[in-house]
Amino acid sequence: MLRTVPWVALLSAMPLLASIAPPSAWVPARWNSTDSKSLDLLAGTPINCLLLTTYTPEFVTGAAARGIATLAVLKPGADPADPARKAVRAGLQGIVLEGDFPAGTAARVRDTLADAHATVVELTSRARMPLGGPDPIVGTYQGVWPGIQVLDNGAAKAAPSGSPWIDTNTGFIRSVRAWGPASVWLGYLPPAHTVITGERYLAAIADAEMAGARWIVALDDDFSARLEHGDAAAVRNWRGMAQVLQFFEGHAEWRTLRSYGKLAVVQDHDDALLSGGILDMIAAKHTPMRAIPGQRLTPDSLQGATMAVDVDASALTPEQREMLKNFARAGGTVLTAPPGWKGQSALQPDQITLDKAELDRLNDIWHDVQTMTGRKNLGARLFNVSSMLSNVLSSDDGKQVVVELVNYSAYPIEDVSVQVLGVFKHAHLITPEGVQKDLEVYVTDEGGTGVDIDRVSACATVRLD
Amino acid sequence: MTRREWIALISAAPLLKAAPGPGDAAPATPVAIAKCASYDEDVTARLATMFDQLGGLDRIVRGKTVTIKLNMTGSPGLRVDGRPPGVTHYVHPKLVGATAHLMGQAGARRIRFVESAWATSGPLEEYLLDSGWNVRQLLAAAPGVEFENTNALGKGRQYARFKVPGGGYLFPAYDLNHAYEDTDVFVSMAKLKNHATCGVTLSMKNCFGMLPASIYGDDAGVDAPNENPTSGRSNTMHEGRRQPSRSAPAELDPRSSREPGYRVPHIVADLVKSRPIDLEIIDGVESIAGGEGPWIKGIHRVQPGVLLAGLNPVSTDAVAAAVMGYDPRAARGTPPFRTCENTLLLAERHGVGSADLRRIDVRGVPIAGAMFRYES
Repeated sequence: MLRTVPWVALLSAMPLLASIAPPSAWVPARWNSTDSKSLDLLAGTPINCLLLTTYTPEFVTGAAARGIATLAVLKPGADPADPARKAVRAGLQGIVLEGDFPAGTAARVRDTLADAHATVVELTSRARMPLGGPDPIVGTYQGVWPGIQVLDNGAAKAAPSGSPWIDTNTGFIRSVRAWGPASVWLGYLPPAHTVITGERYLAAIADAEMAGARWIVALDDDFSARLEHGDAAAVRNWRGMAQVLQFFEGHAEWRTLRSYGKLAVVQDHDDALLSGGILDMIAAKHTPMRAIPGQRLTPDSLQGATMAVDVDASALTPEQREMLKNFARAGGTVLTAPPGWKGQSALQPDQITLDKAELDRLNDIWHDVQTMTGRKNLGARLFNVSSMLSNVLSSDDGKQVVVELVNYSAYPIEDVSVQVLGVFKHAHLITPEGVQKDLEVYVTDEGGTGVDIDRVSACATVRLD
Repeated sequence: MTRREWIALISAAPLLKAAPGPGDAAPATPVAIAKCASYDEDVTARLATMFDQLGGLDRIVRGKTVTIKLNMTGSPGLRVDGRPPGVTHYVHPKLVGATAHLMGQAGARRIRFVESAWATSGPLEEYLLDSGWNVRQLLAAAPGVEFENTNALGKGRQYARFKVPGGGYLFPAYDLNHAYEDTDVFVSMAKLKNHATCGVTLSMKNCFGMLPASIYGDDAGVDAPNENPTSGRSNTMHEGRRQPSRSAPAELDPRSSREPGYRVPHIVADLVKSRPIDLEIIDGVESIAGGEGPWIKGIHRVQPGVLLAGLNPVSTDAVAAAVMGYDPRAARGTPPFRTCENTLLLAERHGVGSADLRRIDVRGVPIAGAMFRYES
């Protein structure tokens, strides 16, 4: 509560707070060092918000002087109200409640800090995320570590398409973002006891950013220590991460674009929480799609779509079922999962991926989805992208289309072809490495627009006008 | 054959071509070998020289429709170390483009690239794009370039039936896409590789991929072809667990061995007997050893730096096997045919050609000079 916060402390911090971005623009990272010199590493990066487990007044002041917000990370176990007040008194911009606190805790802490205008970010399990609420940031501590899934024998695990299976959070993020405009933070950590290459960090950043969310940058202990000691390879990897972050954060307009996908996937909230589900399977086929939570299904949400997959008809209201019928009457194709298809077993609190039984069940509907979509161009078709995922977005008037590509392999991919629905006269390639060049556009066999990209390293974006 | 005898044989092969041998009854034609360290070299010039060494491309393709069976085995999404498939287990697109260019220059009327694309009946052009190939460049390489996916009916109205002259080993005839019939010249463009089932996969084994999965695939229709196949051919052809669609000729003896190491070599020999190959081109510039694709455990990338071309598939494959460091007449149980029949000898027995190195005129680089041992 403000009355417990010394005014002097707040007033002294005021001039510095003025340069700090609003929470919706925060680009977060976990920060273990309390040495103010470590802040030098953030120079030239878009990271402007640090999550701290420990802090010193000097560090907090130093961060604020650079326009960097600081948040204290509080975990379940003790009442967070007191440490929250203490953090705000120390000049931090707010706190992060990381973990599953007893119900009502976040509201109570917010109330405690209300007068200080401090920010409270909740990083809950996926199932407890307060979706559709007023918070400027919603987050979870859960996530899959993005990358090509490798089997025990070292080979890449094949997806149903015969391509390598890519672990991704993008399907989940798409579902969460469909609930509202809040910034989405993913706070999962690098896997323990694993050698993590620089490319994997780039994939973690790009996986979230491509879908419009932010991964809370977190380095493994080895990387962190090497970076602190100025190890050349670590510094190079860190700069690469900053480059990819800047690539996405420097194009904030991409977050405001809507899906160009003509395929709508209507899915119950619980199903959407899991990675590796129907959204990720469709994404692996590079079929542009829009995720619509069943609870958010409206005629507007289906505007421009030509196909819809109703993953769980029983979860829809009679009015919503009627909407899908009207969609079909207007010429749309609707694929409805068979009754009783959905799994009956309750999700475990720590479950974020489908178990084998659910995957087997999903295969039936997946086969139907593949049959329905076939080789149709539902916004864009991409080729030579088996180790990539993509996101195809457009402006409201459809005059500009943006195709984002993220490469999850450790190797650059050469000769990627993109065939977009619609006629566009200009195409421009942008990459984190600073490539900015016009691409030759050609008319595809189906009358759309084609472009060829020579090489994609970590990620690339093509803008078509 | 001892190692010493083997080295003596490959060194003396051109000189000993008149000596009598076990493959005498079958034809033997010249085989050209060229060194080519990388795809960045002038692949077109290398190929042109080889074709000249074989008597010139004009006489083979002028005014003709040429069908070129590519080797693009397995899903293009599966990669070896993330590398483009052309430098591992597919033929390289530069070689394909160079071939089209030279054939166009030599007066070919139409150049049709074909392959039974893995688990799909979609356009071959899309399969090529998924492999990272520039289809527009290939189309521009020569006049009359076209593509066909032979994994199903494709652009044809009916399947073409190819009877095995004199009767087949496993099937009396095979039903294939029309492209293999509607052509004047048939070319097999293969990769220099080992094969888990057949020991080596060269110009002849490449033709196993002519079999449409619509008829011979694991999800082929029981009575009629399934024109949208989504599987490979393992259950049906490798292991004989089920029969092809009844629309095609049935297996001669369903009680014969179901062992892949027996079945696949015999089927391949049948196929090259029924659909003769007029020209073979083998890409050994960069490849893999230990198997035919990334799904085989233990494979590794190799750079033999060699190209081969010939006018008889048995002879060409014999020389290619020798370049890989193998005895092309090796018996079952010896490398590389450890667990399989020797396809080359089966084809020789069919009268397709001779696998006897002493009868084959090797032109360009001698075998010993091009040898790259796939096994130490």
